[in-house]
Amino acid sequence: MPDETPVAIDGRRVLGVVPGKPVAGERKEPADDDLVMTWPHLLVRHAVAAMSVLLLVLVISVFVDAPLREIADPTNTPNPEKAPWYFAALQELLSRFHPLIAGVLVPGAIILGLVALPYVDRNPYLQARHRKVAITVWTVFMVVWILLTIIGFAFRGPNWGWVWPWDEWHGEL
Amino acid sequence: MTMATEEKPRVVDRARQTTVGRSIFRSPSRSTPRDRAASHWSSFLLHLYPVKVRRKEITFRYSWYLGVISAVLFASLVASGIYLMFFYVPSPASAYADIQSLQTEVTFGQYIRNVHRWSAHLMVFAVAAHMAKVFYRGAYKPPREFNWVIGVVLLVLTLLMSFTGYLLPWDQLAYWAVTVGSEMAGYVPFVGEQVRELLLGGPTVGEGTLLRFYVLHVAVLPVSIVVLLMFHIWRWRKDAMLDLPKEEPDA
Repeated sequence: MPDETPVAIDGRRVLGVVPGKPVAGERKEPADDDLVMTWPHLLVRHAVAAMSVLLLVLVISVFVDAPLREIADPTNTPNPEKAPWYFAALQELLSRFHPLIAGVLVPGAIILGLVALPYVDRNPYLQARHRKVAITVWTVFMVVWILLTIIGFAFRGPNWGWVWPWDEWHGEL
Repeated sequence: MTMATEEKPRVVDRARQTTVGRSIFRSPSRSTPRDRAASHWSSFLLHLYPVKVRRKEITFRYSWYLGVISAVLFASLVASGIYLMFFYVPSPASAYADIQSLQTEVTFGQYIRNVHRWSAHLMVFAVAAHMAKVFYRGAYKPPREFNWVIGVVLLVLTLLMSFTGYLLPWDQLAYWAVTVGSEMAGYVPFVGEQVRELLLGGPTVGEGTLLRFYVLHVAVLPVSIVVLLMFHIWRWRKDAMLDLPKEEPDA
């Protein structure tokens, strides 16, 4: 039922006030003193980081030669047979579980899990103390994976048996 | 204004004021922040970066610069890899001998091969560390979800890059590491053997595998990485000023 004396502002009649956020969502404009020019502040730091890493590679390459073993021989299987180090965790899993689990399900689940992560974790907070579950799960996964990689890389010898790396070394880069 | 207070323009700035300088830089003056922003926008090399960034984002502890480190290692791999391509034929008959002569006869051959090898290992490590750092910073949260997904694809491509490159020296290390690695593809239910044979170009690692891995290594994978990396960096720049998730719960 219309009011008898409608409120008018600037010649327009106000029909109602709706509480809530703006339809377009709130956009926080960063304060100007929070911002710095990319050049020179960020670019100089990036240049230093880039040149440090390049220097590291150039220096390592002076002192350590890339390995080259004997020519490939399909009739002579080395023992142990090792995958590159970044697959050492998978190879270690393969020695413990059925290949369908270790070779297909686990790597598949890891990649799918990584892709899905931002859509599953809808917790809006950035600080660690408000993200306990996500941080715990991630850290446990990382620790397990790094341990498996180190075991597969350095602690496995002939017939994938356990060796101590300080007794005999079987890691290959 | 008197001559005394007027600063003499630096040589770089004078060069920008010339006809040629103007044609290259478009925004010849850099005296005010607005000029500098305009010259940033019109620079091809700087267009990868936003004009301004948040102060806390430029610090070491924010990112450990792992993204830029990964990109630099990739650039080092492209440069050293192109040099190696001049001396290498991907065939079992010549591959191993090519590496041997690369190490003994080619100028800087051994050194460039070392640079390529160590950059590759470091890049796998840097990309994985970049992902971990982004996770702990929570930088995959809206509006950056999709850039995280592109990052996951880039990680997988990096691993494939390293794995295909591992075979190319055609020594015992290469041959058997790839034999073990590709056995995993055979465990996929129903289509495992087909996937494995498609990858290897035969029932075992052989002539076909070397050629396939070579083409993947020098053409397919690097081009894919470059395209996705451009997309990845473009999204990073576009998202630089967007509203970020909350730092603290509302009181």
